[in-house]
Amino acid sequence: MLLTRQSVELLAPVGTWEVLEAAITAGADAVYLGGKRFNMRLHRTDTNFDDKKLTQAITYAHARNVRLYVTVNNLISEREIPGVRDYLKFLNEIQPDALIVQDLAILELAREINLTVPLHASVMMNTHNEHTIKALMDYGITRVVTNRELTLSQLSLLRERTGVELEYFIHGDMCAAHSGQCFHSGVVFGQSSNRGRCLKPCRWPYQLVDTLTGQAVAAKDPGPYKLALKDMCMYTALPQLIQSGVCSFKIEGRMRTADFVSRIVRLYRKALDRYIADPNGYTFDATDWQELYEYRSRDFSTCYALGNPGASSIGYTGEREPRFFSQAVKEAGVTGSAAVLVPNTGSDNPSLRLRPALAVRVADLASLTSAFANGADIAYIGGEAFAPGKPWSLEDIKAAVKLADDRQVQVIVTTPRITMEREAGELEQLFAGLETLKPHGLMVSNSGMLRLAKQTSSLSIQTDFSFNLFNHLTAAWLKDNGASKATISLEATYEQITELAKHSPLPLEMIIHGAIEAMVLDHCIPSAIMAGTATHPCHDLCSNRHYSLLDSAGERHDIKIDQYCRNHILFAKDLCLLPHLAALMQAGIVNYRIEGQHYSSELVGIITAAYRAELDKLAAGDTYVFDKTIIDRIAGPRQLGIGAFRYRVSR
Amino acid sequence: MHNIGILQLTQNLDDAVHGFKSGLTGQDLAVEFHYVNADGALHDLPQLAGKLAKQKVDLIFACSTPAAQAAVALAGNIPVVFTPVFDPVGAGLVKTMDKPGGKATGMAGMVPAAAKAAFIRELLPSANNIGILYHSGDSNALLEISNFKQAAAGLFSLVELPADKAEDLSVLADRLPPNLDALFLPIGRVIEENFASVAYYAEAANLPIITSHAPNVPAGALGALVANHFELGRACGAQAAQILAGAEPGNIPVGIVEHPEIQLNTFVAANLGIELSPSLLVKAKEVFE
Repeated sequence: MLLTRQSVELLAPVGTWEVLEAAITAGADAVYLGGKRFNMRLHRTDTNFDDKKLTQAITYAHARNVRLYVTVNNLISEREIPGVRDYLKFLNEIQPDALIVQDLAILELAREINLTVPLHASVMMNTHNEHTIKALMDYGITRVVTNRELTLSQLSLLRERTGVELEYFIHGDMCAAHSGQCFHSGVVFGQSSNRGRCLKPCRWPYQLVDTLTGQAVAAKDPGPYKLALKDMCMYTALPQLIQSGVCSFKIEGRMRTADFVSRIVRLYRKALDRYIADPNGYTFDATDWQELYEYRSRDFSTCYALGNPGASSIGYTGEREPRFFSQAVKEAGVTGSAAVLVPNTGSDNPSLRLRPALAVRVADLASLTSAFANGADIAYIGGEAFAPGKPWSLEDIKAAVKLADDRQVQVIVTTPRITMEREAGELEQLFAGLETLKPHGLMVSNSGMLRLAKQTSSLSIQTDFSFNLFNHLTAAWLKDNGASKATISLEATYEQITELAKHSPLPLEMIIHGAIEAMVLDHCIPSAIMAGTATHPCHDLCSNRHYSLLDSAGERHDIKIDQYCRNHILFAKDLCLLPHLAALMQAGIVNYRIEGQHYSSELVGIITAAYRAELDKLAAGDTYVFDKTIIDRIAGPRQLGIGAFRYRVSR
Repeated sequence: MHNIGILQLTQNLDDAVHGFKSGLTGQDLAVEFHYVNADGALHDLPQLAGKLAKQKVDLIFACSTPAAQAAVALAGNIPVVFTPVFDPVGAGLVKTMDKPGGKATGMAGMVPAAAKAAFIRELLPSANNIGILYHSGDSNALLEISNFKQAAAGLFSLVELPADKAEDLSVLADRLPPNLDALFLPIGRVIEENFASVAYYAEAANLPIITSHAPNVPAGALGALVANHFELGRACGAQAAQILAGAEPGNIPVGIVEHPEIQLNTFVAANLGIELSPSLLVKAKEVFE
């Protein structure tokens, strides 16, 4: 394939008019910017464009042959939908070159209003495999901003298999966790990173401690900022990047100054042009590199582009950390000052007369038996297996289905949250195998696996919390694509849940108890700290020890390591919404879930029994009074908390 | 043609820069601006100031105390006009406010403490016990506290809550005395940058926050009485014009904030069950919802 200036697009971030002019003057082929509405980067309202400025910016860019993309990349709550619809109509009139979107609801709305502006899938859409890309392409997505955990060779494969345009971050501030799958800020502070309000808990200082003893474990601690990813910089690997088939090279930083953006654009522009003009004669320009390096914010890394970077991608000492957004806080406890939600009286909500279904996610057959014995209607099995636990074999699944059939309850097989090509291949095989084992359904975690399951399996399919379901149009999209039940986002507050439940075309399930994951990372924290590498897999450090991150508020966040060596960082406190069940029933929620995969089989039994009893009392319709002593009875080794429920009013 | 350097610390001060440009444009002068911004990186300021000096600028407009200090520290005699410096004398930029005496002058950014105390009284008429949460390593915070203690004597009883480093905010909940009616935040980098954690604990304890840093209001403080950075910048533009016409910066008095503005957050008020007085809402320059 011959290169032209069209096949390698240099894409610059723009926050203000001044930056727009600077980026274009410096040689950007395209720019992306946000309007005042439904856009990430909401910390600073002055780094966005109002409707009039948006229109002018498009005219300005087009007059200079520069493409302009508008970010409409927030998750959308139910009450925001009318506003989004109007905004999309406005954008359709002013015709930017594309919209960068996150919420699946936008795909529904685009069809509804016959939007003619091309759509690009945001990095928040959890896109790692060809099936997700194809699912999005069915809805007119022409370009995917891929996850930063993908290597260039994985990108080449995706490009070859799907033909979609790929956009890849080449420079700037990166998340340590999988974007779109980090719930730390949203659940603890009520300020969701998926709604443009990330408070960056990954940039807090942490100590790595042994989970059992609480003692520090690193002989030589490289520094407290254990999740502080260095800035991405692909300048040193431009030839590999260009030849990978990525078509758009994206610079991060919509809150950056004109000076900062124009320097980066100018230096990359120069190198790209030199390469396109004469790839064989291309040489690395040490002077330009020096300039880029001198004006860096943080130190640089190529992150995952050339393979898992391990310790080399983390700026442990935090010396160059430009600014902070928050410090660690004690998570809200279940017995703290937050008021218990009290339902309105006198409602005749019909859902109150239904017996609520209780599902429990379990790690092994002992826990599954315990859950069923104590009143669970559904057990979720499969997906991630956390060390030292083992993945579910076909034999185990067969035994689980037998146990469920005997009790006339259900077993549903789940799939991992992050699904790269390897896992997608394994799941395709699993789905085929399940046709004879006949579990009672599948639960999938991303739109690619939804598509694959729909095409290859006869089982009924439901979707997990990782779809970040916030509104009924997203539920409609899931239904259109084969789902028969959906899980509500972990970040939704009571008010948002109530609104969603009123309008959803699908039955909704809500997670009400359990050890919840704040972040999922391809970075292995213990091996980076203790071995200084990304030796992958090490098959060693997590075989008989458990680790936690201790923050400056004294909270311990356990690290769970799965069979793919991904690290899952738990919140310090386990979710417990037992005192809020009456209000949730009132809101019309009839499917409840306990995330019990990190619990012993005994604890799974105790918690399942407690929720079963309370739900049954509520469904019986008698006068209900919550007995606070139950909280003590269901206490496990970890403290209980209430996540986003502390918020009286949601943002 | 005059060459004017603009040395900025963060985008938070964009309004001051816009005001400065507008102040100078009104003066009928031919000027070219050379703009540099450290984007929050304090350690880059001396290098950026040096870059302006190399461009042979006739004057530097410095936004923030560290930017002003970097500009004044340059060798040679480039005049410096600064804002919104809290304490120009304490920061070593001028000898006295009336007679700066050196190569710098400008507009101080501190709102008089008496006006702040009166504002808090009007905002929270029944408040008695006020906690002052401040960065103990920030000289601006120490100055503001000293002024505020004098101004608030007789109005409130004050409890000092010093934070030495950012991580101290993580345990703020354990340090809040039980009977506080509000938290007052003097200016100070560590508190401003980690405001979300302060707001988190304040909300859990039902405490309204009055801040000195305007961006904290949309982010969860109840209110603030703050300088208008655009106006300060504009006044600096007029001072710069005097200097370009031949006046000595050392002879131009440092200006002070004369018309501070009220900012309020009605979302926070509703969350805390606080009723904002209609007269205050009318007076407010900005009301966030």
